[in-house]
Amino acid sequence: MYYEDVQVGDAVPKLTKGGVTHQQLVRYAGASGDFNPLHTNPKFGELIGVGGIIAHGMLIMGFVGQMLSDYVGPTALKKFGVRFKGMTHLDDVITCTGTITEKYEQDGQGYIAGKVQAADQDGDVKVAGTFVAALPHRGA
Amino acid sequence: MFDKSKIGHSFPPFIIEVERGKIRELAIAIGDDNPIYQSRAAAQEAGYDDVPLFPTAATMFGFWGNTNLGGELLGLGLNVMRILHGEEEYEYLALIQPGDVLTGVTTIADGKTRQGSGGSMDIVTMETRYTNQRGEPVLNAREVVIVRE
Repeated sequence: MYYEDVQVGDAVPKLTKGGVTHQQLVRYAGASGDFNPLHTNPKFGELIGVGGIIAHGMLIMGFVGQMLSDYVGPTALKKFGVRFKGMTHLDDVITCTGTITEKYEQDGQGYIAGKVQAADQDGDVKVAGTFVAALPHRGA
Repeated sequence: MFDKSKIGHSFPPFIIEVERGKIRELAIAIGDDNPIYQSRAAAQEAGYDDVPLFPTAATMFGFWGNTNLGGELLGLGLNVMRILHGEEEYEYLALIQPGDVLTGVTTIADGKTRQGSGGSMDIVTMETRYTNQRGEPVLNAREVVIVRE
């Protein structure tokens, strides 16, 4: 993808994931190294009053990361940050979306900036954030 | 209550090697089936030198590189069993590839205690700066955690 191909207001192609499963959270715990029992042990979630298992927030950021990786490629990303706004439960179906908010050049390099979010089947936002990516110029 | 004198405190450096298999494992857990994360050959076919870093791969560097972080936070009076993740931000400064050996240094960048309706909570910002085996800064990670008391 080239800098010239992107315009402010463009949508990032959205990504809808399959429902979050308990097995996925166990797998994600092992991959990431975050073994907080809140994400894998239903009894722990009940004990601290959140009503069962809650997905790792970082898994949901990962879904947004997948959308951005598909869009610009992982090595184009210069910044990527999110705020965690809501808890994700088992079977929630997460859809990631984004919009380009800015494009600019700095020292001959083209950059695009955008806002991104992930929300569940009811539209409840789980994470919201921003990214910056460096894109090459066409014909450069 | 968060002890403000800990702002600026850095934990001991930790070392983590970037591994192709861990990048693949993370991509599979997230459900990203892009072949560039699966093998070096597939990554090269797509124009990369090697398997690229998944955008959130630095979360593995933090947890697997410093398995003692929970104990270190406990030492600052933060109960990691009551921790919630508030924000996460990455700044990618240079290319990171499999085989790179990163050194991470985590610093308490900010912290405050807020009184809410459900009691008080500590809001703590941690920054981890990663350099590679050549001493080049490659990635900064900024994390805000909320600890209910």
